[in-house]
Amino acid sequence: MKQSWYYTRREILLRLSWVGVITAGAMALGPLFQYLASDEDQVQSPIVSVKKQPEMDNPWENVPSTRVWLKRDQAGVMALVASCTHLGCEVRYHPEKKQWECPCHGSIFDEEGRPISGPAPRALPRVAVEIKQDGSLLIQMNEQVRIDERAKKRG
Amino acid sequence: MNVPKKEDNSLKQTEIIQNKGERTTFISHIHPRFVSEAALKFVSTFCLGGLSALSFLVLAITGVLLMFHYQPGENSAFSSLLNLSSVIPYGAILRNWHYWSGQIMVISVSMHMIRVVWTHSYKPPKQLNWLVGIGLLLLTLFMDFTGYLLRGSQESGAAANVAVHLSQLIPMMGQPIAQIFFGKPSPLSGSTLMVYVWHCVGLPVIALGLQLYHFWRVRRDGGVRPL
Repeated sequence: MKQSWYYTRREILLRLSWVGVITAGAMALGPLFQYLASDEDQVQSPIVSVKKQPEMDNPWENVPSTRVWLKRDQAGVMALVASCTHLGCEVRYHPEKKQWECPCHGSIFDEEGRPISGPAPRALPRVAVEIKQDGSLLIQMNEQVRIDERAKKRG
Repeated sequence: MNVPKKEDNSLKQTEIIQNKGERTTFISHIHPRFVSEAALKFVSTFCLGGLSALSFLVLAITGVLLMFHYQPGENSAFSSLLNLSSVIPYGAILRNWHYWSGQIMVISVSMHMIRVVWTHSYKPPKQLNWLVGIGLLLLTLFMDFTGYLLRGSQESGAAANVAVHLSQLIPMMGQPIAQIFFGKPSPLSGSTLMVYVWHCVGLPVIALGLQLYHFWRVRRDGGVRPL
């Protein structure tokens, strides 16, 4: 008489192999995630270096192939990152209007990067600038500073 | 399906009986009603076709995963491979897995062909499947070769240039054929977008289609159950 707890050898082996397959699959999920999530091959340096300092009272100048813009006033050199604080599009500086404009959702910022209109909630970020011995600049993209802060001598 | 009427031992038929009460699924639908006992013996196949198909499956899975980090191109291929085998977690094992499955597949496919000759399995009614098998052998070798080019090392550049010049020797069509299959490899790297697309999409898709047809013919001609 076949009872409910009765399994043939074939059924037990079949179930055991399913357990093996599912266990192996589950154990592979972690490594798979780590492999796919890895950005080790696209590491970007947070440091931008610039040979020449900007001239006094020139309009904002872009550092080629970065989003960094530089300017110098009486207090010293400052660096602005032209990423819209709304959703991160690259904003352009319009020297004739003395305004930053975002092409994506129309945010407008004033000369100093403070939002005037549009959806952007905050001012364009300023980042730390260091002046090296030889007069070249080191810009730390991951070190945000206040809007009135200026370059420090490295010492 | 034709059931052979001969009564000699090699063609003795064994019915695969479904367990009573077991559900019949789509999988059981593609299983044959009859399989000759001789065909089920290990020594009549050495499982070489199955091993080839298994390596193809492993190659497909690891290959798709490698595509997430591999960057084809003259200057990017080799460095992306170095990244894969050094800093990407589990990249090295995936790459090794892909590489060794490829080596195994070339060997098992070749030995499968030798076995087929040995057991006279190329004879009617299986002559068409023999030709399909030859096609699969060529595809396997082309996939192996394009994979070698994609390594983007200096040897791959030399190999790619040999391949380009050999293709250009084909009368009339040489130039376009070389361009279609290899693009413009540099002397130092065989990794081009053309080779990449053929290796990852073109050749495997054709090989998969031919394989499915190959297996179906094996079944129809009274061959073994698949793994």
